[in-house]
Amino acid sequence: MSSLIGKGITKTYGGKDVLRDVDLELEPNKIYGLIGRNGAGKTTLLSILTAQNPTTRGEVTYDGMPVWENPEALSHICFSRELGQMAGSSGANGAGLKVKDYLEIAETFLPHWDKEFAARLIKEFHLDVKKRINKLSKGMLSMVTVLVGLASKADFTFLDEPTSGLDVVAREKFYRILVEEYAETGRTFVISTHIIEEAADVFEEVILVDQGRLLLKENTQDLLERSFHISGRAEEVDAACAGLAVHHEERAGRGKGVTVLLEPGQSIDQSRDITVQSMNLQKVFVALCGEEEQEA
Amino acid sequence: MNEILTQEKSIYIQIREMIENDILRDILLEEERVPSTNELAKVYAINPATAAKGINLLVDEGILYKKRGIGMFVASGAKAQITARRRELFYNDYLKSLLEEAARLGITKKELIEMIASSCEEGVAAV
Repeated sequence: MSSLIGKGITKTYGGKDVLRDVDLELEPNKIYGLIGRNGAGKTTLLSILTAQNPTTRGEVTYDGMPVWENPEALSHICFSRELGQMAGSSGANGAGLKVKDYLEIAETFLPHWDKEFAARLIKEFHLDVKKRINKLSKGMLSMVTVLVGLASKADFTFLDEPTSGLDVVAREKFYRILVEEYAETGRTFVISTHIIEEAADVFEEVILVDQGRLLLKENTQDLLERSFHISGRAEEVDAACAGLAVHHEERAGRGKGVTVLLEPGQSIDQSRDITVQSMNLQKVFVALCGEEEQEA
Repeated sequence: MNEILTQEKSIYIQIREMIENDILRDILLEEERVPSTNELAKVYAINPATAAKGINLLVDEGILYKKRGIGMFVASGAKAQITARRRELFYNDYLKSLLEEAARLGITKKELIEMIASSCEEGVAAV
């Protein structure tokens, strides 16, 4: 299997850059988590990587070939898009169709479609295939999206907010099936989500997008092992963090808390009277992306 | 391996500790196969690479060993080895923080020893 590579991806809508110079290499046999705030450019990035949307500048290649209008490259790629509940009865994304009709269409477009796997997932998710798409609840819409992505058997499978409409039990079930499928096949999955903590253990690498830029792409465990929250008296915290990249200061009276991401060779001065805590992915994300709170 | 994962510690450290705990409790016996990386990944819905990292720590220490084509096994002597290591860590992991908190609260050495002695008698600490 080959990598999927994006070089200098830029997308402009009405003079505004939604994505700016994003360089990204997606390797085979990995589960990536794509995280970023609302409007950061996640969905645009996913649609460009899967050639459902052209770039303004830059290029996406698979095995050295551009993916744009390239059926050979696209046969390895599946982006199972969110189904809109509000889409008209016969409008875009087949809202007026029955679930089974929608799955039949998916089967004709996805060359590696696994019918047995699809049938198993229908059972696992208790999906009623005779229902019309526009009559499905938000959770069931998510299930159809997830089902298409998994049963596509594409080497590179992209899922945009697959768990957003699912209840907690269904979300856990989804992650379990995902890990099982990944362990058996080594397919690459790229999953965007706002429900970060429950997914953090599944992601081998996180891709963090902020305001149209790629902020970081790193092994999840490595990122967590170099991220710390430091708190104590402001002077002590400042002294302990001298020379370190400090993110997201919060002050309360004489006290202060900061987030630091250590670079190789750096360390925190532990001789100071401070509390050093490790962080979870959600907290790191907020520290890196939640800074600008001037106006809505 | 029926513990649940928390967010306090790295996942691979927790995987390692769970396997150690199961060996200490005779849930996993010496010379017995332990769940594979993929099995652990499925059960806990974690990335197989993370599960492998936890397993590899135990392999490096000689607690687990690999039988080619069959899987991971608990080494003989693993239980004694885990006990020995945990005894070494006991001071840092438990005693040090206990003494620090006692000092902050002004609990004297004598009071502390009495507390421990009476707890042991009541069977709280099952010693």
